[in-house]
Amino acid sequence: MSGAWIVFLKEVRDALRDRRTLIAVVLSSVVIGPVILFGLSVLVADSEQRAESREVWTVGIEHAPSLRNFLERQTLEVKIAPIDYERQLAQRRLGQPVLVITEDFETALLRGERPLIELVSSSADTRAAAGVRRVQRALQAFNQEVALLRLTHRGVAPAMLEAIRVEERDLADPLARAARLTGMVPFFVLMAVLYGALNAALDTTAGERERGSLEPLLMTPASPLAIVTGKWGAVASVGMLIAVLSCLSFLPAQTLMRSETLAALFRFGWREAALFLALLLPLAAMLSALMMAIAVRCRTIKEAQASNTVVILVASLLPMVTLFTDSGEQPWHLWTPALAQVTLMGRVLRGDPFAVPDLLLPLAVAAALAALCLADIARHLRVAASR
Amino acid sequence: MIEIDGLRKRFVQGRGRKARVIDAVRGVTLRAANGRITALLGPNGAGKTTTLRMVAGLLHPDAGRVAVDGIDVAVRPRDALARLGVLSDARGLYPRLSARENVLYHARLHGLAEDDAQARIEELARMLEFSDLLDRRTEGFSQGERMKTALARALVHDPPNIVLDEPTTGLDVQAIRGLRQALRHLRDEHGKCIVFCTHIMQEVERLCDHVVVVAHGRAVAEGSVADICRLGGYDDFEQSFVSLAFGPETQGAAVP
Repeated sequence: MSGAWIVFLKEVRDALRDRRTLIAVVLSSVVIGPVILFGLSVLVADSEQRAESREVWTVGIEHAPSLRNFLERQTLEVKIAPIDYERQLAQRRLGQPVLVITEDFETALLRGERPLIELVSSSADTRAAAGVRRVQRALQAFNQEVALLRLTHRGVAPAMLEAIRVEERDLADPLARAARLTGMVPFFVLMAVLYGALNAALDTTAGERERGSLEPLLMTPASPLAIVTGKWGAVASVGMLIAVLSCLSFLPAQTLMRSETLAALFRFGWREAALFLALLLPLAAMLSALMMAIAVRCRTIKEAQASNTVVILVASLLPMVTLFTDSGEQPWHLWTPALAQVTLMGRVLRGDPFAVPDLLLPLAVAAALAALCLADIARHLRVAASR
Repeated sequence: MIEIDGLRKRFVQGRGRKARVIDAVRGVTLRAANGRITALLGPNGAGKTTTLRMVAGLLHPDAGRVAVDGIDVAVRPRDALARLGVLSDARGLYPRLSARENVLYHARLHGLAEDDAQARIEELARMLEFSDLLDRRTEGFSQGERMKTALARALVHDPPNIVLDEPTTGLDVQAIRGLRQALRHLRDEHGKCIVFCTHIMQEVERLCDHVVVVAHGRAVAEGSVADICRLGGYDDFEQSFVSLAFGPETQGAAVP
């Protein structure tokens, strides 16, 4: 049995004995899928509900029987707004815009005097603001109907009024639309992997120095490279285990979704899970090596934790590059670890096709970086032990 | 047998103008024979630990040569380490593993088969008197219990050469006596070469056949306890050691 294998087995056993850390890490990675999906589905269900809301809140609707008649013909429910609606809107509690109708509405309308209707909302209340367009559209339709009736009365053909016809067509297919919402899923999976591997990475390097067990270990005939390879194997395994768990947790989590639209749009089957893992496993291995390379330079776990926050920060900020720039996907994105994986996972979720080379490039980058880090740790190990 | 010849090591602390050069070891030469307990006796900061680290191949000497049973440590470090058992200054254990697992880990890394390793662990535990602790996690071990485990770990591959850095730290009288007996047994029955690094006179007087006094990074005197007393010019071993290690001659010699 080679040295690397012995070290690997020992480190895995050691990591498994660290029950408290293990349980915390595994639980959070398993819970992450259901929690994100549940949160998203609540969000989507809420916005769907509002979009489909058939309510119009009014003040003084009794002065406008013709408008009421029109709204009810559109199957909209006319509701009387509470007296303190302005305060409620300002405090973002109402969630609906309010129509304010003046007393002389009906007579003014009959006389053709263009009576004024106020549409009150607050741009601070996003839910109310979202409803403004809907109410506006209803009012426009009312406007048009009244005008058409008047013109037809005077013998003008309705077609004269419409020089052009407009019809809306949305080209985004359902998957692409859902990906705007589910775009954060890859990011959370990446974080789970990072935090999962962090503890093992620190314990096997800086922890070993802090305990004073690194020096005796290096006095065995096992070569530094074998020791480092074994340790890295164990840390990467933990990271990969977390990746597998968090990816698989999305499969049963889909049953939790409250929004039917999202359930129909978020397609995460075995194929997607497999592609996610194909991207995440090499990344987990590379990040493990990187965190170990940083931690081995630190004398204590605490020091190593502080140094490794930089890695975590960079890995969590890189995927946001696409948010801050409007230029879309650039070729260099696939060369950058973390960013490449999040980008490609986004493509998987959107159902975009991608070629095998797209998978291989990030894999090659990860492999090269991992090899560099391992060589560096092996070189640094002896210096680290005697300081 | 361990042969050290003209060993030198210099550390540079800091960078640029603030850099400070520390000559930790400046020309240590000694020979530890088989079937003998050789003491490396010196005050704190004399360069004992640095010398041991070079013997174990952890540090590369700036000059000089270390050979373990004729194997040059710089040339074939793995072969040299296989013939060397070191209880170094750093003797940390893995708290989540039992004493047995701790020792077994190193046994496997030394290439012992599982069965041989287990038999060897039982034997060492009997010799060092900690058989009842073997299957407990080392988390709550006392200093002495830790020491015994670390010592068993260093000796698990039955090395012909044993280097011990301050092995009595934290041990109670009973345990120190046990250790002494074990070391005598290893010397007399197995003909091991034992190097015993310490600053405690008593230990040296009671146990060691050969003494090398180290001060300011070099070996300043060598011989039996009686020889050291003669060289130091006092009947009392401690007094002789102080005059050799801190005396005016050494001070003069230390600053070339």
